[in-house]
Amino acid sequence: MIGLKGLLNVIDNTGALKVECINVLKVKTRLKSTGTATVGDEIVCVVNKARPIPANEVVKNPSSSSNIQKIRKGDVRRAVVVRVKKTVQRTDGSVVRFDDNAAVLLNNKGEMLGTRIVGPVAAELRRSKGGAAGAGGRWGKILMLAPKVV
Amino acid sequence: MRIEKCYFCSTNVYPGHGTMFVRNDAKTFRFCSSKCHKNFKMKRNPRKVRWTKAFRRANGKEMVVDTTFEFEKRRNVPVRYDRELVATTLKAMERVAEIKAKREKAFWKNRMSGNAAKNARDAALSIEKHIELVQPRSATTTMPNLEEKEKIREKIKVRAAGRKAMALQQIEGKDKSSKKKRESRLIPSGGGMGMGMNVD
Repeated sequence: MIGLKGLLNVIDNTGALKVECINVLKVKTRLKSTGTATVGDEIVCVVNKARPIPANEVVKNPSSSSNIQKIRKGDVRRAVVVRVKKTVQRTDGSVVRFDDNAAVLLNNKGEMLGTRIVGPVAAELRRSKGGAAGAGGRWGKILMLAPKVV
Repeated sequence: MRIEKCYFCSTNVYPGHGTMFVRNDAKTFRFCSSKCHKNFKMKRNPRKVRWTKAFRRANGKEMVVDTTFEFEKRRNVPVRYDRELVATTLKAMERVAEIKAKREKAFWKNRMSGNAAKNARDAALSIEKHIELVQPRSATTTMPNLEEKEKIREKIKVRAAGRKAMALQQIEGKDKSSKKKRESRLIPSGGGMGMGMNVD
């Protein structure tokens, strides 16, 4: 249940640590839509807390270090929710909840910004079809990189 | 689909029941009920909570070592469906349950075996302590002889007389106090004192 002002931990290696949700990318007026984000939903967020960027790195090669350590505080990015505290009902009847709300940052094409993920992600990410990743669905890369899918 | 065990109380968690909690280190905890989940959130140790299986096992209340436990185990080996195998398994399950129940009963009997003597001793002690409560009824009814009966009668009489006298006194006291009140209005000094004494 992530809505406006909802805080999430970032579990990839982009350098962002904490983000705040500023929009849930859903049609909120649709009949069965909750308007809040859960696992697998995309959000727009602003970076509240980021790992400090070492000064020498910025001077040396501002462009070459690909996408790692690029995120600063105040950046607005898209992200996908990968863990939620609120219980998620699965089709087999089981109910799952996590320790915290967590997200993974995305670029404008909907691809992962980082190259690594720490901590478990929810298996609900498998539900969303399509995307460039092909067989794994839209979040196939996240599922692949995550150390554990629960 | 599996029948899981509750992390807290070790009961079976059937599909569609309970919740699963995933910690950030990816360890999963299954709970049979919100009660168990809440107890977990309170950071209670299941070995120290009396109603859990863990407590009962840790404190010798239940069988711990037995061959019947070997049957109910997690086997991560997929088995191809076989009608015969299922039939024999079902039959075996019944038999195993029977044997298990028998052994559990024997265990319970063994656990309670020391209690009979202890209970008897406790009962004897309590009887000795409160012997006056368990004297034969006939003895108590025959005890008050004529003299005692007379005494009791006297007592009752005295009590009744006393009550009558008290009632009379009270009526008188009321009258006096009302008089005093009127007086005290005229002479304010010492009025309160007099009133208090009259009431007594």
